[in-house]
Amino acid sequence: MESIEYFLLLTGAIFCAYRATVSKRILSSTLYLACISALTSVVIFMLGATQVAVMELSVGAGLVTVLMVYALSVVGEDALDPTSVIPKPLALGLVGTVTILLGWMVYPAIQVTIVSGDVDLASVLWQSRVLDVWIQIVLIFSGVMGVLGLLSERTPGHSEEVHA
Amino acid sequence: MNFSPLNIILIGIAGLLGVGFYGLLITRNLIKVVMMLQILIKAVVLALVFAGKISGNLGLGQSTAATVIVADTIVAVVGLALAVQVRRRFGTLDVPQISTLKG
Amino acid sequence: MAGNLILLIIGIPWLGALVVWVIGDQRAKAQHILAVIFSLLSGIASLILLAFVDSQPAVNFTLGSAFGNLTFVPDGLAVTLTVIATVIGSLAVLFSVDYMRGEAQLGRYYFMVLFFIGAMAGLVLSGNLLFTFFFWEITAFCSYGLISFYSDDPKAVAGGIKALIITQVGGVGLLAGTLIAYANLDSFQISDVLANASVIPAAALSFMAFSFIIAAAAKSAQFPFHTWLPDAMEAPTPISALIHAATMVNAGIYLLARFYPAFASVPGWRTAVIIVGVISALITAFMALTATDLKRALAYSTVSQLGYMVYAIGAGGVLASQFHLLSHAVFKALLFLTAGSVIHAVGTRDMRRMGALSAKMPFARNVFIIGALALMGLPILNGFWSKELILEVGLEHSPRWAYILMLIGAGLTAFYTFRMTWMVFFGTQREELHVHETGTAMKVSLALLSIGTFTTWSFFGGLNKLFSASLPFHAMEEESTLEMVKAISFAPATWIALLVIALGLILFFTLGRKVALTESPRWLNSLTESSFGFESVNHFVVNTVSKFSESLRVTQTGQLNWNILGIIGALFIVLAVLLWGGA
Repeated sequence: MESIEYFLLLTGAIFCAYRATVSKRILSSTLYLACISALTSVVIFMLGATQVAVMELSVGAGLVTVLMVYALSVVGEDALDPTSVIPKPLALGLVGTVTILLGWMVYPAIQVTIVSGDVDLASVLWQSRVLDVWIQIVLIFSGVMGVLGLLSERTPGHSEEVHA
Repeated sequence: MNFSPLNIILIGIAGLLGVGFYGLLITRNLIKVVMMLQILIKAVVLALVFAGKISGNLGLGQSTAATVIVADTIVAVVGLALAVQVRRRFGTLDVPQISTLKG
Repeated sequence: MAGNLILLIIGIPWLGALVVWVIGDQRAKAQHILAVIFSLLSGIASLILLAFVDSQPAVNFTLGSAFGNLTFVPDGLAVTLTVIATVIGSLAVLFSVDYMRGEAQLGRYYFMVLFFIGAMAGLVLSGNLLFTFFFWEITAFCSYGLISFYSDDPKAVAGGIKALIITQVGGVGLLAGTLIAYANLDSFQISDVLANASVIPAAALSFMAFSFIIAAAAKSAQFPFHTWLPDAMEAPTPISALIHAATMVNAGIYLLARFYPAFASVPGWRTAVIIVGVISALITAFMALTATDLKRALAYSTVSQLGYMVYAIGAGGVLASQFHLLSHAVFKALLFLTAGSVIHAVGTRDMRRMGALSAKMPFARNVFIIGALALMGLPILNGFWSKELILEVGLEHSPRWAYILMLIGAGLTAFYTFRMTWMVFFGTQREELHVHETGTAMKVSLALLSIGTFTTWSFFGGLNKLFSASLPFHAMEEESTLEMVKAISFAPATWIALLVIALGLILFFTLGRKVALTESPRWLNSLTESSFGFESVNHFVVNTVSKFSESLRVTQTGQLNWNILGIIGALFIVLAVLLWGGA
C-alpha cells in the first residue's frame, strides 16, 4: 500500500521535473519547481523526517519560489530557452547511462531491513553535528549578501567593464 | 526486483537526478540552470533522509539534510543574483553568448 | 643551525623575489639594491653552511605517506653546488645592476632571478626525490621566463618555448625514475635509493638509470638535446652566465653524480653516459668553430665542457666532474659576463663586426683572456687542473677511443677559444663601433670572478674532504690539493693533453687563422648550423608538443553546457571504474 503512495508521489515529482526542464516559459518552470519541492517534502515526511520536511516545504517551495519569481520580474520575460547546444540524444544517452549505473550500484546496499531506534534530530543537531549549525549560520549571512546582490539596482561602473 | 517502498524511492531519486542532469545539459538560460541545480538538490536531500532511514539513524540523516537545504538555498540566491547582474551587464541570459572564458 | 641556514638560503631569495616584485618598477633603484642585498645574504648563508657539512638530513618535515618526508641534506655535493648557485648568482645580480639599468619591467626580471637562485639551492639540497623534481621544474620555469624576458622579440619567445619543452622531456624522465624508485622502495628519500639500489629489480633499476640519463641530458643540454642552449642565448647576458652556464645546466650533472653509486653497476649505463658526454663534447666543439655569434659560441663551449663532466662521471670520476663543474662555473660565468659587457658596449653580438677592441676595452680584454686561458686548460688556471683530472680519470677508467676523442676535443677547445678571443679583441678593426668601457658594478663582479679563476683549484683538497666525509655511498679516497698538484704535474696524461692543446694553437696560427677569421668551409657550416642533423629532431619534438597543446584549445569552449557534459562524463568514468574494479 505504502508502495503505491510513494510511487504516485515520486512519479509526480519526476513528471514535474521533466515539465520544468522542457517548458518554454520560465515562469511555469518555477511553478513546476515548487511542485517538486512540495511532493518531495511529502515523501520526506512519510519517511519520518518531519522537521526536514517542513524546512523543505517552507524554504524550497516558499522562499526559493519567491526569489525566482522576483528575479524573473527583474530580468523580464525575454527569458525564453533556445535550443540546446548539446545534441539531445547525446545528453539523454549519457545521463541515462550514469543514472542507471548509479541505481545499479546503490541497489544492493538498500536491500536491508530497516532498523528502528531513532535519535532525536534536536539532540543530533545540537550535540554531534554542532559544527554544522555554525556553518549554517555563516552560510545564512552570506545568503543575505547574495540577496543584496540580487536587489541592488546599481549598474556596473566603467571600472568593472568586462571584455565581452 | 520487487516493488518495495525502498526500491521505489531509489528509482525516484535516480529519476530526479537524471532529469536534473539532463536539464543542466540542455538548458541555455542562466536562471533555468539555477533551477536545475535545485532539482538535483531535492534529489540529494531525499537521498540523505532515505539513507538515514535505512541505516536506522534518521536524526543524522535529517541534520545533514538540513545543512544541505541551507547551503542549497544560498546557492540559489547567489546564482540568481549572478544571473540578474549578468543580465544587466551583457543584456542576455543565453549561456553561449556570455562565454568569455574561451581558450 | 644547519637546518635554519638551509631554510634561509632558500627562503631569503624567495622573500627577496616577492619584495622586489611588490615594491614596483617605478622604484628601479631600490629594486637593484634590494636584489643585490637579498642575493648576497643568501650567498653568505651558503658559505657559512660549508662549516656544517653532514651526511644526515638537517631539516626533516613529515608530510605523510604520499609525499614522504621533506628533507634537506647538506652533504658535500649539495653544499658545493649551493655555494656555486648563490655566490655566482649574487655576482650575476650585481652585474645586472649595470647591465639592466634603464630596462623596463625590472621587477619581473629580479623576481625570476631570485626565485631561480632559491629553487636551485633547493634542488641540490633536497633529500627527497619528489621535491628535487618540484625544484627542478621551478628552475625550468624561471629559465623559460628569463629566456623570453624580452617578450616582444619572437626569437626570444621561440627560444624560451624550445628550452621549456626540451627540459620538460627531462622532467618527465626524472619523474618516471622517481616513481619507479617509489614503487619499488616505498620511499622518495635519495639516501634510501642509494642504500637499497640492489633491492630494486634489475629491469626497473636500469629503466630508472636510463630515464635519469634522459633527464640529465635534457637539462644539461647534452646530446641529443643539445640544441636548446644556443637558442637560449636570447636571454639577458647575466642570465646566460648564471642559468645557462654556471648553475641550472649543472643540475643534470648533479643528478648523474648523485646517483652514480646506485647506477654504476647497471649494465651499459656507464658506457651510455660516456657516449653522451663524448658526442656532446665533440660536436659542439665543432659548432663553436664556425659560430659567429659571440654568445652562441660561448653556449657551444658550455655544452662541450658539460660533455667533459658527463664523460668524467661515466668514467667513474665523480669528484673530477664536480671539480671541473666548479672551475667551469667560475670561468664560464666570467667569460659570459665579460662578453655581456662587450655586447653592452658595442651593441652587437656578431663577432664578425667586432675586432681590435683590445685598446678600447683593456679591462674586459684582460679578464676575457684569463677566462679563455682557463677554458683552454692552460696552467695554472682552475680549468687546467680540473680538465687534466678528468682526462687522467679517463685515461685510466674509460675506453681508449673515448679518451682519444676527448683529447681531440681539448685541442678543438683551444682552437675555437683562441679564435673567439682573436675575433673580438685583436685582428683588424672591421667596423667603426661606438664603444664605452665597462661599468663599475660590472667591474667588481668580473674582478671577483677572475680572482676565482686563479684560485678555485686550490680548494680541491677541501672539496675532496667534504665529499669523502659526507657521501657514504660514493666511496672516495682523500687527496689533498698538494698531492693532486703533484699527481697531475707528473702524469703522462697531462703532458699529452698539453701537447694536443699546443697543437691546436699552432694549427690556429699557421693554417687556421685566415680560414677561421674569414669564412669557414661551407660543408662545415651547413653541418653545424643544423647541429649535425639534430636540430630537426629537436624541432620536431617542439613542434609536435606545440601543435598538440594548440589542438587542446578546442576543449576550452568556455560554454557552461559543454563543461557540465565534461563533469557528467567524468562521473560516468568514475562510476565505471568503481564498478569494474569492484566486480
